[in-house]
Amino acid sequence: MVFTIVTILVLGGAFLGLALHRFWTTREEAKSTILYAEIMKKYVAWLALRTIQMSRKASPPAWWEYVKALPMWRAALLEKWLYICFYGSFLYLAASGFFFAVFIPRGLFGYPLVGHVMAGGLFAVCLVIVVLFKGRDFISVPKPAHLSLSLLDPRKMGITPARVKLWAFWLFVLAGFLLTLSALLPMLPLLRTGGQRFMFEFHRYSALSSALAAMVFAGLELFASLRTAAPPGGEGSPGGI
Amino acid sequence: MSRAGRTSLRALGGALLAVLLFAATAPGQTAAPVAAQSPKHLVWDGNRTIPVHLIPLRDENDELIVPTETDPWPYSARFTCGPCHDYATIGSGWHFGAMTAANNGRPGEPWIWSDTKTGTVLPLSYRAWPGSYAPEALGLTTWDFTLLFGRHMPGGGPAEPSDEEVLAHPEARWSVSGKAEVNCLACHNRSARQDPSEWAKQVLRENLRWAATAAGGVGEVGGMASRLKETWDITDGPNIDDHLWAVAPSVKYRTVDFDSKHRYFFDLNYQPADDRCLACHSVSPKDEVQWNADADVHAAAGLKCADCHRNDLGHAMVRGYEREAAETGNRSAESFTCRGCHLGENAAGEKTVVPGRLGAPYPKHTGIPLVHFKRLACTVCHSGPKPKDGFTRVRTSRANRLGIYGVATWSTDLPAVFEPVYKKDDRHRITPHRLVWPAFWAKRAGKTLTPLLPEVVEAAAGDILEPEERISLTLVALSQVMAEDEVPVLVSGKSVFAPNVDGGIDATEEAGAAADRPAFWGIRKGTDILQLVGDFDPAAEDKDPAVETRIQEFLQALGTVAVRPGEPAILVRKTLYRFVGGYLDISEAPAELAGAAGPGWLADGKLLPLVPEFDVRTVAAKAGTEQTLTEEQVGLVLEALAETSGDAEVVYVSGGRMFRRAKDGSLISDDHAAAAPVTWPLAHNVRPAQQSLGWKGCTDCHSGGSNFFFSQLKATGPLLTKKVDKLSAASFMGLGGLFQRAFGLSFIVRPVFKVVLAICALVAGALVFLAGLVALGRVAGFLDQR
Repeated sequence: MVFTIVTILVLGGAFLGLALHRFWTTREEAKSTILYAEIMKKYVAWLALRTIQMSRKASPPAWWEYVKALPMWRAALLEKWLYICFYGSFLYLAASGFFFAVFIPRGLFGYPLVGHVMAGGLFAVCLVIVVLFKGRDFISVPKPAHLSLSLLDPRKMGITPARVKLWAFWLFVLAGFLLTLSALLPMLPLLRTGGQRFMFEFHRYSALSSALAAMVFAGLELFASLRTAAPPGGEGSPGGI
Repeated sequence: MSRAGRTSLRALGGALLAVLLFAATAPGQTAAPVAAQSPKHLVWDGNRTIPVHLIPLRDENDELIVPTETDPWPYSARFTCGPCHDYATIGSGWHFGAMTAANNGRPGEPWIWSDTKTGTVLPLSYRAWPGSYAPEALGLTTWDFTLLFGRHMPGGGPAEPSDEEVLAHPEARWSVSGKAEVNCLACHNRSARQDPSEWAKQVLRENLRWAATAAGGVGEVGGMASRLKETWDITDGPNIDDHLWAVAPSVKYRTVDFDSKHRYFFDLNYQPADDRCLACHSVSPKDEVQWNADADVHAAAGLKCADCHRNDLGHAMVRGYEREAAETGNRSAESFTCRGCHLGENAAGEKTVVPGRLGAPYPKHTGIPLVHFKRLACTVCHSGPKPKDGFTRVRTSRANRLGIYGVATWSTDLPAVFEPVYKKDDRHRITPHRLVWPAFWAKRAGKTLTPLLPEVVEAAAGDILEPEERISLTLVALSQVMAEDEVPVLVSGKSVFAPNVDGGIDATEEAGAAADRPAFWGIRKGTDILQLVGDFDPAAEDKDPAVETRIQEFLQALGTVAVRPGEPAILVRKTLYRFVGGYLDISEAPAELAGAAGPGWLADGKLLPLVPEFDVRTVAAKAGTEQTLTEEQVGLVLEALAETSGDAEVVYVSGGRMFRRAKDGSLISDDHAAAAPVTWPLAHNVRPAQQSLGWKGCTDCHSGGSNFFFSQLKATGPLLTKKVDKLSAASFMGLGGLFQRAFGLSFIVRPVFKVVLAICALVAGALVFLAGLVALGRVAGFLDQR
């Protein structure tokens, strides 16, 4: 139950945060006032409007068009299959894991569980390859920090979308590592019941961290690509926000 | 004399006896049990010793028993033990209160009425347990129930019915036998004289009120109430008309155990010894040899049954299942479940119980995924025999009449009980069960089957169910004139049938014999089997004169068969031998007997076989099997029952199927809920940890062909047929066999999978660590400064 509540809060918060970021950076009305209450009202109105617009535009063909437009299809053969396996396994893991954890009291079982275990192995392998070959793209060179109260200012802290993306990437990798570890250890004759119970919870929260990181990364990545493709304030993908 | 008259006489006699005893003995020894309700006896004073039980024995009239007096009565637990231990409170306990219990509790082993002749295997219980029938609903009185199962009952309950129940069934013989009171000694007697076999014999002799005295070794009981007229009463004393057959029960007390004040020394235990429990609760694999049998791991560690299965004066035994505390309100019962004692957890998994009572170790369960603790009872991995193909057939004390020893063999192979059958309990947790397939004749009304009592079936079936008896009678008759080394036999195909000491027939297989060999009566001499009357030429002048002497003996012997359709005769070629007027009559066979040969019954000018062809066919079909009915017999009995059942359809249940008779006489089998196996959870024997499932790894259960999921159980029943249910272990669990097979197969690659995961975790961890170092270094400015 606790995990369900935490999951809803975390993922809901991440979704709303990403939407707010987009609203803040693309909508003129967000800068028309300095009153936070007014901004929030406009944000909610915009969110409602976008929800309606998206629901009208969203359809299987539109989604299919969107998927076909993803850049990974244009990658080299091996790289393409790597991404297909990576994204596919992750999506199945997240979908099966969270669905059963939140909606099915018994938890994950049966064929979905077998699929979850298999997809987990595939995901772990793909993650390692992605980090090995793409990890260096996500090493930033921040300025050396200086101890100062000005660090409390987000702009001076250097919290930019690009950096959040980097952190999200490495959080995703860390969570993937912990997921792999917490899946592996219970299979070995090492942990007693208490350890098993801890690992089970640890696996779930690692998965939540992984999903959060992926969501933030994907949200920022997609938004960034849409900004380059569409004028500010224009409409993007059928599911984009 | 009327019952009222006898009662008055008994009262008068009792009063007189009391006065005499009062005059003869000290008041303190014969005082009325004034302390019966004294609360001081109900409260333990804290001392951990057991009081010496040197106490006066009292009979069912609450009179002091003087062992040396003439014809003393048996002692009564109600009046001997009752003064200090409230009898009514004890009588409501688990072992005695099934008829009046408000709470049925988790299903246990039902009483199984097994009657081989009618092919009945009927689970009965006064508790409303699934699959069990209420005895009273079938028309069984407490008297019937006591005679059927009293051999393994501890007295009380049905064996001690209320006076209203006794009056309601005057056909019962309670007034002769008395009631079997709660037999305290059955459990609490520490003496090695306590004899469950003696109890069983006394119950079968209908010596119910004497049974505890005899079984406890308190006195020697002779006589048989079952042979007495229904008008006999214990106050009548010995049967002066018959000293050989209808001898009235009597007690001869072991005077050596009495002191000079007529007090008897009971060697008692507060906690019963395991032997006392196991007398009625033993379960052993059918073909296991005694020296190879292991005890429960708790017993091996020095615990007694009663260490966990505790009770207070109310004798509401702690049974040890997880719902028990909630059902009974006895919170301390939580301490005596597996989880309570070993993990300190209650039924909800909360750590509310003090663990480790009696030194229970805390289990490591290293590497066992959590789901096992949610979905499986502890007993799945730890109790009963390990799963094997075909399951393990066991025999239980109560179902198979174990533990009763004497000249006769009491134990039976039937009913067939199997374990461990893993199925979900009412908490949807997989739990090991024992299983028995019911078999019975029943009237069918819609979807409801009402079982018929064996006696009803037997009456309707007539001689359809008696081919063995007829063959046996013939063989027994012939055996009267056999030499010491000769045994009369009936031969059919490969099977050779010989009489046994129980009045039945035993079948053996003759090696090398043709399966289609025609049936004949013969004599087994050593390993040879000869024709009863070999072929010879009766007209030959040099024939052996002993042959005709032998023929005369056979004819004389066959003449003693009680029920015969004609006079015995033996036809050899064209010569007919008969026994007429005490002499052998040899005559030429009439023309209508042409083609006949051998021994038979001469009736209406025909030579009938000694037993009908149906009998030979039936016993030959069943030879070497456990089954007691053929499809032909079932069809005939169904036809016979239909004639006496009016409009109701009669069916027979066996082997997990329901059989009914089609219009053309053939048997049709259908599914029916009443044919489903009856199961009850098992808890013992608990195996040592090293023998538990999972000790050798996941593949103990999760493999492509594991016995845990994929062993097959073929239904058994008294009917010899191929139409029986066959169920897989997974189907009992309500799990998909295909999934379990696929899941099991996945464990073939699991070691590789673990290695891959380990490598991935290692590499990913190393990269994260490196990235972390880089990030930390850059944040701190080290790298930038360098």
